Amino acid sequence: MSVDWKSYTPQLIPNIPDLHKISVYEANGGYAQYRKVLAEQTTWTPEAVTTEVKNSGLRGRGGAGFNTGLKWSFMPKPDGGPRYIAANGDESEPGTFKDRTIFEFNPHSFIEGALIAAYAMRITAVYVYIRGEYRSWIRMMEAAIADAYKAGHIGSNIHGSGFSTDMYVHSGAGAYICGEESSLMESLEGKRGYPRVKPPFPAQKGLWGRPTTINNIESLANVPLILQIGAQAYANIGAKNHPGPLLYGISGHVNKPGVYEFPSGMSIETLIHDVCGGMRNGKKLKAVIPGGSSTPPLRADQISGVTMDSDSLRTAGSMLGTAGMVVMDEDTDMVDVLWRISHFYHHESCGQCTPCREGTGWLEKTLHKIKRGDGEMRDLDLLLDLCTQMEGRTICALADAAAWPVRYTVTRFREDFEARCKSTIYALA
Amino acid sequence: MAEIFIDNERFEYSGNVKVLQFILDNGLELPFFCYHPALSIPANCRQCYVEAGMPVFNKETNSYELDADGERVIRWFPKLMTACSMDAADGMVVKTHKTSELVRRGQKDVLEFILINHPLDCPICDQAGECPLQIQTYKYGPEGSRFEHKKVHKPKRIQLGPRVILDAERCINCTRCVRFTEEISKTNQLSIVSRGDHNYPSTAPGREFDDPYSLNTVDICPVGALTAADFRFKARVWEMASTPSIDITNGKGCSVDLWTRDNLVLRITPRFNEAVNGHWMPDAGRTAYTVHNENRVHKPHLKVDAGHVPTSWTNAVMTLAEKFAETRSGDILVLGSAHASVEDNHALASLLSTLGKGRLAFVPHIIDGAGDGFLLTDDQAPNTSGVRLLGIEEASADDIAGAAKKAKLVVILADDLVGRGVLKASDLAKAYVVALASNLHATAQAADLIVPVTTAAEHIGTYVNVDGRAQRTIPAKETAHVDRRVNLEMSMGRLDHFGTRFDNWVSDRNRVDCIPAWQYLSQVAAEACHDLGFADARDVLASVATYPAFAGLTYERMDAERGVTLTMEPIPA
Repeated sequence: MSVDWKSYTPQLIPNIPDLHKISVYEANGGYAQYRKVLAEQTTWTPEAVTTEVKNSGLRGRGGAGFNTGLKWSFMPKPDGGPRYIAANGDESEPGTFKDRTIFEFNPHSFIEGALIAAYAMRITAVYVYIRGEYRSWIRMMEAAIADAYKAGHIGSNIHGSGFSTDMYVHSGAGAYICGEESSLMESLEGKRGYPRVKPPFPAQKGLWGRPTTINNIESLANVPLILQIGAQAYANIGAKNHPGPLLYGISGHVNKPGVYEFPSGMSIETLIHDVCGGMRNGKKLKAVIPGGSSTPPLRADQISGVTMDSDSLRTAGSMLGTAGMVVMDEDTDMVDVLWRISHFYHHESCGQCTPCREGTGWLEKTLHKIKRGDGEMRDLDLLLDLCTQMEGRTICALADAAAWPVRYTVTRFREDFEARCKSTIYALA
Repeated sequence: MAEIFIDNERFEYSGNVKVLQFILDNGLELPFFCYHPALSIPANCRQCYVEAGMPVFNKETNSYELDADGERVIRWFPKLMTACSMDAADGMVVKTHKTSELVRRGQKDVLEFILINHPLDCPICDQAGECPLQIQTYKYGPEGSRFEHKKVHKPKRIQLGPRVILDAERCINCTRCVRFTEEISKTNQLSIVSRGDHNYPSTAPGREFDDPYSLNTVDICPVGALTAADFRFKARVWEMASTPSIDITNGKGCSVDLWTRDNLVLRITPRFNEAVNGHWMPDAGRTAYTVHNENRVHKPHLKVDAGHVPTSWTNAVMTLAEKFAETRSGDILVLGSAHASVEDNHALASLLSTLGKGRLAFVPHIIDGAGDGFLLTDDQAPNTSGVRLLGIEEASADDIAGAAKKAKLVVILADDLVGRGVLKASDLAKAYVVALASNLHATAQAADLIVPVTTAAEHIGTYVNVDGRAQRTIPAKETAHVDRRVNLEMSMGRLDHFGTRFDNWVSDRNRVDCIPAWQYLSQVAAEACHDLGFADARDVLASVATYPAFAGLTYERMDAERGVTLTMEPIPA
């Protein structure tokens, strides 16, 4: 599928100076969709808003890619008690840095989206959970929310509509695991960030045991756009099964790394060679991690014709994840890359479940052994075995996220690993 | 009735049950570490993997779909499931390690993972012999390890609190201890700190783990990470004999096991009893093991000048008999005890009614506010209800202090009235004081005649707790007059069974020369030419059972039903 990207106008991070200021945002049509929904509550019933979002085909931008509107519809009927949204801005996977641009350049689009979601699900409080290292963006979000309170968009009986909700910023404390939705809730409750056993799912028993929906920041920032142009028009943007504008966070050995907004379903080759100005120093491409460090890397010969949407990437043998793409050139040693990724997961495993707590450390230690030149060929089999022992055997997906890169890097770039192992004194072992 | 198939065997169940608990309830086996029936289910150890599936139900035919062989078509869950957290569902099919290679592999994999950072120091580990990790590794674990790297090092010998010591390297992060302080003792003193394979439980910085129930975490720790400061390195599990008994330090009377070796009680652990204490007991009841071992009165003692000298049992019996004979009824004060068994108090009452003299009363040992509504009670004695049910007069401390000053003969049954402030030693100065005591406490020191009596670890005795639950003790320690090999009710440890009297693990040093109080009292009666008819504790209980409140109470019933709840109607005097 070819996407007309050259004539595309960014919607999530439009090129408008000072858009983070509420006056500029409102002057450019900001909060209009929110006001429309609140003013026309007979047309825009909460159910109608949910259905509209569901029909738009918007899929969560946090990595799992679940239909956002469908997720909203799982919320039980209001019973008078509190109900929550936890907006997940804890992005901390290596290669992912897209929500940051929303905090920085267009925070009010997220706030408006979150408020529409709050209306659609009858939410009493929205918690915005932001990665602790994002000090300055936490402050920006706090300022933006304060402005929105002042403008009367948040609070009680908002714009006389009878709808009330609150919004708070919560800073994480530097744990990757708190980006997992159930440990995010534990963390919000002031507890240690351990993922919860599901079921019960957050919609039944979330924050403080109350119905809760967890949405990614970028997902919610898409909501005003859906209401503005309509579900059908939104569904026509980009890839059919994964529509909408997408923030591509591209890093690595390209000439112009950065966060780019384009429709979903962009070809990987186009992103590297045209959007990012080609490979740095004219080197040859070796590997691409398409959606953050937990997604399986693709070899250069695997990306031909592959586009950035869940279907195409699944066929190619990877996943869209967060669309945080890492590009690596021919000089890259995949042993070093994989060790660094494994080091990250070892460091970030919360330690709750046995296979992940012990497996991530064992993976890293084995990779370090190979990296420092003591590797043996049997270590490669051991690595794959450990992946089998970890995948799908834990409460949350961190074990999978740690095992997949190992499994696919070792199998797809086996020559790098064999070369390291064979150059040791154990070569004949 | 809903049905579930476990390893091709059909079971019926009703209500909401978790598969692991159901498997355990049916006497089947599935390895686990983090699960505990009294705690929440975190499913973090991942040891209780099973394969599970549901039959495919065809709504049109309203029946299960069948395959070519006429068997139900099963849709298997794609991943291994943790049985602890999985709800049983009607028609569910479960495969454990008995029938599934995948489950066997999964269990082995988890054990391999747990062991890579767990020190293999079983030979010096207190838990060895009663260690779920050790047992399950032998049964389900890998034959060796493929781990060739340095293990993670974590703090060792952390004194978490006054009674509990942590070896963080042995910890397998099951979080049972953390959940215990959150959910059972509700002090929230423990939490997991650090991250990943550096995790271990700890208190908040600068805080002590001084939870009054802290030692329960040692019991539920599935490895040797948490150890009791008192018991650590004292004995291997297989050297000890364990005897069912009860906690005698407060009015709840938690069911416990007494662990003995060479006639010393080395530790006390709770024994599951749903009607009394569940799985738990307070720390106070465990640290009381010293009562049975230390500061014991060995042989009867008479006060001569300022000190006590040993005397014979004959002399002890005759002395009290003579004192009873020569003292006027109005000058005799006899004090029963809520710390002594129903049998002992009844023997005392029987003696007095036979002799027809003396005032019998007791002073309850109650400290207001000492209880916590859980397993600690205001009542500091194990048998206050029992003494009340026997109809023994309940007197105030002031009343008794006044009476003691006037009396010429004071007999005190197993109660440290001086130590707990009911009497002052000076109150007893004028009277001839006979103390039946197991320990040389302040009351015994003030006595003219000390008669050594057995503790709850040495006799059969019935105790009635604050809720009217009658429970009994079984001798765990030999006295100088009892032999384990002759008393068939006494438990035998491995060394008791296979060791000889000449082995170096056993000595006569720890066999105290004492007898049960009821036995001494019936000897006193015999000396006065009265036969109480008590040759055995059973005779005493049979006599007690003639009271309506104790009707039908036998040791066999208390054993079979883990105690018998009595109706708390006091007997008319």
